[in-house]
Amino acid sequence: MNFNPSLLNKSQIKTGLFIAFFAVNVHLNAQVDTANKSQNPPTEEEDFSQYDEVGFAETGAKRYCSPKIEGLSPQKLIGIGYDFQAAYKMNLDTFNNNANTGSAHEYNVKNSTGIRFNCNIPVISKTNLVWQMGANYWETGYNIQEQSIPVGYVANPVATELSKNGLRTMGLNTTIFKPFNETRFLLFQGSADLSGDYDLKLMPAKYLKYSAALVYGVRPSERKQWGVGLARTYRVGELNYIPIVMFNYTDAQNKWGSEILFPARAHVRRTINSRNMIFAGYELEGQSYRMYRNTAYRAEDLEIRRGEIRLRLVYECSLKDFIWLSVQGGYRINYRYDVDRLKNGNEIYRAFGLLSDEPYVMTNSLTNPLYFNISINLVSP
Amino acid sequence: MKNIKTSILLTLFVALTTLLSSFVYQDAAADRLIGVWEPSNGRARVKVEKIGSKYYGKIVWLKEPIDPNTKEPKTDKNNPDPGLQNVPLKGYRNLKDFVYAGNNEWNEGTIYDPLNGSTYSCTIKMTDKNTLEIRGYIGVSALGRTDIWKRLEVKTKK
Repeated sequence: MNFNPSLLNKSQIKTGLFIAFFAVNVHLNAQVDTANKSQNPPTEEEDFSQYDEVGFAETGAKRYCSPKIEGLSPQKLIGIGYDFQAAYKMNLDTFNNNANTGSAHEYNVKNSTGIRFNCNIPVISKTNLVWQMGANYWETGYNIQEQSIPVGYVANPVATELSKNGLRTMGLNTTIFKPFNETRFLLFQGSADLSGDYDLKLMPAKYLKYSAALVYGVRPSERKQWGVGLARTYRVGELNYIPIVMFNYTDAQNKWGSEILFPARAHVRRTINSRNMIFAGYELEGQSYRMYRNTAYRAEDLEIRRGEIRLRLVYECSLKDFIWLSVQGGYRINYRYDVDRLKNGNEIYRAFGLLSDEPYVMTNSLTNPLYFNISINLVSP
Repeated sequence: MKNIKTSILLTLFVALTTLLSSFVYQDAAADRLIGVWEPSNGRARVKVEKIGSKYYGKIVWLKEPIDPNTKEPKTDKNNPDPGLQNVPLKGYRNLKDFVYAGNNEWNEGTIYDPLNGSTYSCTIKMTDKNTLEIRGYIGVSALGRTDIWKRLEVKTKK
């Protein structure tokens, strides 16, 4: 049987078309109404007290504490910055192997500069588990003033290496936040870093340095969280296992607070408003840098143990929406800049001299300059 | 001839019925978003309503409803628009313009965070009838954070 439209009379066609038009028109009208209302949806007076007494619709649903507290500075997802240390003096020890000839020891560093890149991306954000992965790249270039080498001396090999190649750190990190209930949580941070005089083409993965921290915490209110734990860290230059204390707090007026992960960093926060904050405090920075580019040092298994304390003032503000500027300035205090030789390829664990008093190959000292750091960051929702 | 007319009308009727019922089915699936929900931090409760064919959420309860500075009910003081900083947070629409996209997902909407006065692009996924995955993000979905919201049952006052 073939369909022939000419067989339908006019009134039947009209009826059919009317029904079809009506059905489509109803749908289109609904969309038009929505578009108009969505610009300024009406709000009606409502008795909000009815929402005081509620229960979860799902049996067995639990509440968990959040990783953040009110008033905390926003978490940085991606950041790129520039670090500048003003002039200082570097007093370098005689290098063991050159003891017979002696090496120049005092150097003027005009400045130390470098870019810093960090990113931290959420992988899992569940109520009962938050997991983030991150990456970082930091470099420090040394602008060392040329000087005449006294007769009978050679240029200090460490100064030569720093001037030529500088130091850099490149790594991956992860953060896991596991809440148990509305007030108790576990926080784990781990990182694997390659630190040395490498360049991007020369990154020997076997010299990865692993750091980690585990904190058991309590979040008694929306404005306070604290915890205690243990860290494996290179922040003072060499490997250490140390207890840590976390204390984040915001006062009821949301004007003052603290952001502390002692001893790594501790800051007092002054909140001007939710888009402008000032911090005063310090951060411990450091790593163990493999001397690798020069094959002679590589054979010697040498590492620079660099640890420094940065006393600082930090100003952070929103430039536009989620783009934040961070400016910090302060005083860089040298804690350690010594050169160590690995023992059979292994680091010497001194435990602040409690477990070993093995001397360093070079014991160096640096004077303390002013420093400045600026970064642009994309912050997390 | 009569049979042909009858079958054409029948086909037209079936097509229209199918079209209308698909709208009804879509609406029913989309309307599952309507209700009262609690974000994972438990600081607020949000009532989702339908206006036209879009979905909106407003804050109907706050754990700490009073501003400790002013001792008055909290307002949207972090809003970048000074003209909106006195708007009460209770009743504030923090979810806007969500459209049902099928497959248990609502998108094209935004979420507003009164804690910092920022508005984020947002998608909502219903993982089961009582659980929402709310993903706020900046530009691309990878640069964001997901929060889990649970459906609440409002107890009727006697």
